[in-house]
Amino acid sequence: MDINFLLANTLNGVVYGAFLLLTSLGLSLVFGLGRVVNFAHGALYALGGYALIVVMQQSAGYWLALVLGPLLVVPLAIAIERAAIHPLRSRPEIYTLLVTFGITFMIIGALEYIWGTGTTLVEVPSPFAGTVTILGNPYPVYRLVAAGLSLLVSATVFAFIQFSAIGLQIRAVTDDAGMAEAIGVNTKWLLTAVFGAAAGLAAFAGALGAPIFAIHPDMGSGILIDSFLAVILGGLGNLPGTAVGALFVALTKSIGGGYVAEWSLAILFVVVAIALIFRPTGLFGRGRVA
Amino acid sequence: MRVTRDIGKLVPLATATALLAGLPFVGVGEFTITLLTEALIFGIWAMSLDLLVGYAGLVSFGHAAAFGLAAYSAGYFAREVMEDFFAALLVAEAVNVLVALVVGFVIARVSGIAFAILTLCIAQVLFTIAVIWRSLTNGMDGMVGVPLPKIFGISLASGTAFYLLTVFCLVGVYLALTRLVDSPFGRTLQALRASEERAASIGINVHLHKWLAFVLSWAVAALAGTLMVFLKAGTTPMSLHWTESGNVLVMAILGGIGTLLGPVIGATVFVFVRDEFTSRFQAWQFVFGLVFVVVVLAFPTGLVGLLNRIHGLRRRTRSAGEFPAVIKRIRSSLWRARL
Repeated sequence: MDINFLLANTLNGVVYGAFLLLTSLGLSLVFGLGRVVNFAHGALYALGGYALIVVMQQSAGYWLALVLGPLLVVPLAIAIERAAIHPLRSRPEIYTLLVTFGITFMIIGALEYIWGTGTTLVEVPSPFAGTVTILGNPYPVYRLVAAGLSLLVSATVFAFIQFSAIGLQIRAVTDDAGMAEAIGVNTKWLLTAVFGAAAGLAAFAGALGAPIFAIHPDMGSGILIDSFLAVILGGLGNLPGTAVGALFVALTKSIGGGYVAEWSLAILFVVVAIALIFRPTGLFGRGRVA
Repeated sequence: MRVTRDIGKLVPLATATALLAGLPFVGVGEFTITLLTEALIFGIWAMSLDLLVGYAGLVSFGHAAAFGLAAYSAGYFAREVMEDFFAALLVAEAVNVLVALVVGFVIARVSGIAFAILTLCIAQVLFTIAVIWRSLTNGMDGMVGVPLPKIFGISLASGTAFYLLTVFCLVGVYLALTRLVDSPFGRTLQALRASEERAASIGINVHLHKWLAFVLSWAVAALAGTLMVFLKAGTTPMSLHWTESGNVLVMAILGGIGTLLGPVIGATVFVFVRDEFTSRFQAWQFVFGLVFVVVVLAFPTGLVGLLNRIHGLRRRTRSAGEFPAVIKRIRSSLWRARL
């Protein structure tokens, strides 16, 4: 097989993996913290793309919109958490999946109503519009920049959770919510804040990916299912596991996709199903059954 | 004693059946009858999901797989081989049961969220196959040209005749499933819903029962898929899409899970409300999502639960506070279930 073809697919896989990491991190964090299965994560990713357009229409540049757009999504996500997810605390976790399914319909419905079902293209910001030559093959610079930014933000999230006081609380609640609450951690406030932050991450991914993947109301469904697979594969709520899962899913899809076209999705599902049979808690899950 | 109780149950059922079957003959329009046919087919499908969600406590987020797979196999057989309804149904049943036996063997090992996501995965795999395998499925354009079914050699007209066939199937499935959930097997499933560990500790083969429940659910859904492919004269990959899986879950929960009758009511309300919304609101998806959120938040026991609660309140004012059996059952399914 052509080595250049393999290289291009591997590069695409790594770039997609960096995006997937951003979305899966939020999904995994929120699940670990509050046992919330957020089906609306893909819709929040799409909202990020549209928020970018809205800010750019106010004659703001791409980079300013990339920062401000996702910040617009955060308050909305906090409102969603307070109104729809918070009341479900005492119910089985599957109810969070159901209610966020309804919210997904609301968000996609609103996007289609306001902007229509068409696709919006966003231009690649000027300094990174060209290509770079990697081992003799041209490759769009922006993809590498975007992947680098995603990894940088993800690393910041990891560092925050590992080294900050709030990160310590997040880890404590993920480990044992009852005990954390008993020693004075405000789990309710924490879940609301983390839900908002996770939505911000998803929206940032949507805005950052806009020049690569284009914007349309249903843009979140694909990445949502891939994120779910990544999170389940890595063990629900396990952040390092999620990172490995995201890379695995992205590489399987893009490298497999190069040779067997759309069948790569089917292959991916079969691989994840097999992995789950032998390790129902995910590859890196510790004891807790999903 | 048991006989009189059964008769007591059968009288309202027979009355409801007669009323339902009589609708085309008392001047209900053809459009409404077609819409109702669709609703009742969804009702059968939602009941098959209720067996998993409401009784075995396994929330499937990919039940479109069972529906769409049957629709494709029955439709393909009817178009290419013969138009006989029962033969097509048999083929759909065979395909569904075979796939469910293989897939279910694997999937019965997990529960809860993992079960929900894995079922979603299976439906997405089938969806992708339906899109790619163009020579068999005609890809995204969908399979078309499925003829009207024949029953005992007589071609069944669309409209009233097909509606009556659907009513017949619905009542048959309802009777069979009500017997099933009260059988020792059904009781065992409900024990699994309460706690898989406890069920295992008293000697129940958990994996086997979850596996059987999965296969049975797919077998019932095969009937719904077969009816639908004949009603629509074809099917598209969208019948396997995750939004469809979500829709059938909405129908079951809207009506009230763990009641069998609830999902049928839920499916009927769903179909008619969606028809109203799509013609009335431009942003119907938004309104639909909002209604769903409100139902999940405010009426987790569904319409049947709501009716029972109203009934229960009225009774409580008369006698000492005691919840009717149905709401007790739904309550326990909601709060105690290890979903």
